[in-house]
Amino acid sequence: MDLPGITEVADARLGIWRPGDAWLAGGTWLFSEPQPALTRLLDLHAFGWTALQVSPDGLDIAATCTLAELARQEFPPWQAASLVGQCCAALLGSFKVWNTATVGGNICLALPAGPMISLTAALDGVAEIWGTGGAVRRIPVADFVTGPGRCRLRPGELLRSVHLPIGALQCATAFRQLSLSALGRSAAVVIGRRSPSDGALVITLTAATTRPVQLRFPAPPGPDGLLATLAAAAPRYHDDVHGAPAWREAITRQLALEVLDELERL
Amino acid sequence: MRVTCTVNGEQHQADDVWEGESLLYVLRERMGFPGSKNACEQGECGSCTIYLDGVLACACLVAAGQAQGRGVRTVEGLGSGDELATIQQTFLEAGAVQCGFCTPGLLVAAHDLLERHAGPTDAEIREALAGNLCRCTGYEKIMEAVRLGATRRATAS
Repeated sequence: MDLPGITEVADARLGIWRPGDAWLAGGTWLFSEPQPALTRLLDLHAFGWTALQVSPDGLDIAATCTLAELARQEFPPWQAASLVGQCCAALLGSFKVWNTATVGGNICLALPAGPMISLTAALDGVAEIWGTGGAVRRIPVADFVTGPGRCRLRPGELLRSVHLPIGALQCATAFRQLSLSALGRSAAVVIGRRSPSDGALVITLTAATTRPVQLRFPAPPGPDGLLATLAAAAPRYHDDVHGAPAWREAITRQLALEVLDELERL
Repeated sequence: MRVTCTVNGEQHQADDVWEGESLLYVLRERMGFPGSKNACEQGECGSCTIYLDGVLACACLVAAGQAQGRGVRTVEGLGSGDELATIQQTFLEAGAVQCGFCTPGLLVAAHDLLERHAGPTDAEIREALAGNLCRCTGYEKIMEAVRLGATRRATAS
């Protein structure tokens, strides 16, 4: 839709952040609902960031990388590469939206069901954040998202990229997603990964919880151990029209057990 | 601001574009391409589906300024002159149009599908058109039109 309050679109490299500004990446959320608080868009494409960079250390995903670019990319034989397609498909939106929506936008929007949050949190992604005055800081994506629609960006800061470490990309993974309707917004996403070197296991909960929750085990804990650790973590379950908290909790437990079972069989 | 882009193979320019305008508005109201429809305005219905640099996008979700210097193809650009594209012709023959509001978006999406898959399965057709909502036809005639379009293109090639 049109955004009547916007009076300027500026090059993000040149604009000095002020109240009423928003970073423009794909624009798919910005242009999908009224934005009465905004007056100016700072276009991140001016930076010309390379969408994806594979290195011996892992994968760097620019904030402006579209879901389509990510989904199309041919990766080295990383076991975890299959998660990319699974998470892109978990987006509530047709593939047309993939062509425009960006990884950074999805993460910064910080919706519990944001599939790029699921992907990057599950693979121990680290967000690189640029602040005003050239400051750079790095935060694990699992900590970057703090609640529904909330993240740790301060005014004027932008998400530059997310780094996925090679160790996580080499892990075997298991993915489960559930929603109230076949193509509905995710009510729960559970992703497990198991290290090929030491068998350590990480289970990441998103969509069902208000923010990413990670459960780490030095070895597969068994069903009882998993459920005990999950109970001890006491995640806050999200409450909206896409699922009640009690239901999300129940299906999260079930999906976590399925993920554990799949990874234990490896 | 001024926005210049290629639409259906020809250079077009719009002046005094207001910064918050969507590409859909510029196409429809400033450049004279009303084929793309303005319905949900939030990327759900697919009525505004266009090609942007060769890939499908919802024009309602694209800032007009982001189309600067890029190539746009709308439903008006699927055919050639007075000659309909194959998919347009098969929509007519199959009776895949009722109120017609969703039709431009469906045509562009179906055109894209047939460009990518010469012989799509029903599941592939449904997937490709999943982002285009029709509240009249029940989709069966649309499915028939796409199947017919695929057959006709295969026969012609």
